[in-house]
Amino acid sequence: MNTKIKPFFLWRHLNKLRWLTLTLVFLMLISLPFIHVYQTYVAAHAYDLLAPSEKQLYDVMETLTAPLTNDPQEKLDAIKGTTWSGTFWEFKLSDPLAIVGQMAAGFTVYTPFLLTALIPVIFTVLFGRFFCGWICPATFLYELNTNVAALLQRFGIKYGNRRFDLRIKYLVLVVGLILSAITGSVLVATIYPPAIIGRELYYTIALGGFGAGTVFFIGTLLFDLLVARRGFCRYLCPGGALYSLLGRFRLVRIRRIVENCNDCAKCNAICEFGLDPLRDHFGQECNNCTACIAICPTNAMTFTLRPMDYPEQGAGHLGRQYRKIPALMDKEVD
Amino acid sequence: MQRRSFLQNLIAKATLLAGAALPYGVARVLAPTEARSDEERNYLRPPGALKDESAFVSACIGCGLCGEVCPPRCIRFHDRDGGDKVNTPYINPEEKACILCDKCMEVCPTEALTKTPRFDIDMGIAQIDRTACYPWVDRGICGACVSICPLGERAIGFKMWYQYQPIVKQACVGCGLCVEVCPHPSLPIWIVERSKGTVAGHTV
Repeated sequence: MNTKIKPFFLWRHLNKLRWLTLTLVFLMLISLPFIHVYQTYVAAHAYDLLAPSEKQLYDVMETLTAPLTNDPQEKLDAIKGTTWSGTFWEFKLSDPLAIVGQMAAGFTVYTPFLLTALIPVIFTVLFGRFFCGWICPATFLYELNTNVAALLQRFGIKYGNRRFDLRIKYLVLVVGLILSAITGSVLVATIYPPAIIGRELYYTIALGGFGAGTVFFIGTLLFDLLVARRGFCRYLCPGGALYSLLGRFRLVRIRRIVENCNDCAKCNAICEFGLDPLRDHFGQECNNCTACIAICPTNAMTFTLRPMDYPEQGAGHLGRQYRKIPALMDKEVD
Repeated sequence: MQRRSFLQNLIAKATLLAGAALPYGVARVLAPTEARSDEERNYLRPPGALKDESAFVSACIGCGLCGEVCPPRCIRFHDRDGGDKVNTPYINPEEKACILCDKCMEVCPTEALTKTPRFDIDMGIAQIDRTACYPWVDRGICGACVSICPLGERAIGFKMWYQYQPIVKQACVGCGLCVEVCPHPSLPIWIVERSKGTVAGHTV
């Protein structure tokens, strides 16, 4: 007990940073369509012909973007797109699932497009499903949805917490790719929530009407609420399946410091993905969201560089379970 | 319990219904795409799109970037109407026409829209109905399509000696600005696939 390993103090605050990035990504997806609409008004050079509501949007966007650039028509093109595929100052990034889906649909490999997924793939190999926890705009809504579920619980409505086989999502991925190959169109994009959200936000704001994707997404929210907590991400998401496979031997993972652990099981309760940090079971599903690090009352969770999880370390040394074993206690006293 | 058996019955029937509808759904998905109908004549692919429609559909990942950079906001997306073309872009010049700014080709991450020099773009070719166009039926002077054309003389011009009677020429890339600007309510100018155009038969 006297030789305590203290995790780096900032790890506890990573969860706040994660919420910040999730919020920023979501705000980006909302603001980009507005920016585009503003750009089209600028390009038309016809402020006087705009309807009053359009003028209002023009004025607001002009006020917001004036400090950034004096050439909105060209310079605001710097950031475009969604998490499915986007450009940042001429630098293109794409979702690895988009690459795989396109390869399945067309039986072709287009190298420039392949390279746009290089950085996401490298990050996924290092950090596992980090996209799911840190960037995915659907995660932002799904985690809020979990909070709604807790609220419903207070009003006496029980939310579903069924468990299924985690391998269903690999089946969804494979079937999605096979169907993509048969139909010759990238069908995985139609059931992949982050792609749906980016797209539907653009359709809704800039093109004046949402499509079938929104209906599907609401369906997944209800599934999460009534059937299984974060059920879509854990059991059905094809992207999550791909990232789980890529990040199976991820180098950066969370581990439990058994010396500090008191078996309170708060980590198991907070884990959105229903994993078992208390018994060192993270596996390929963990998305490094750091919620368990943030909630741990005894600083028993930290990051480690290991391609595999620690084997089960047994009861935490601060817990009651551990003190029941006298042989170990004696050792501890020395 | 009566309620339980009723619910069981209901679930069994719903499952049966869903199972029965499955073959139809699969058949619907696998069905070959229909030939372009007359209503669809103005649904164009954005400039630089792969010539082969099925190659375009399989190359497009539906990211919507082309729409997001489009200055006139002319690029729309197939949605429920799309079938296997869902989320792929189209331009309907009757609503809003392409201005050939090349931004969509630059931003497209896949080879679905490839960078193409302006005169090599092939979205289609304009077609004029000479039984409706105002100057062609001697109902006044117009020339709106000729004056809006971004490609100039090589794409559309007036018939020699008969001013204001527009003639489409081979350099037309089918951007559709003429369709957007045409004042005639029945739109006697529209875009067709290049192979279906009758431009070669025109006497200039």
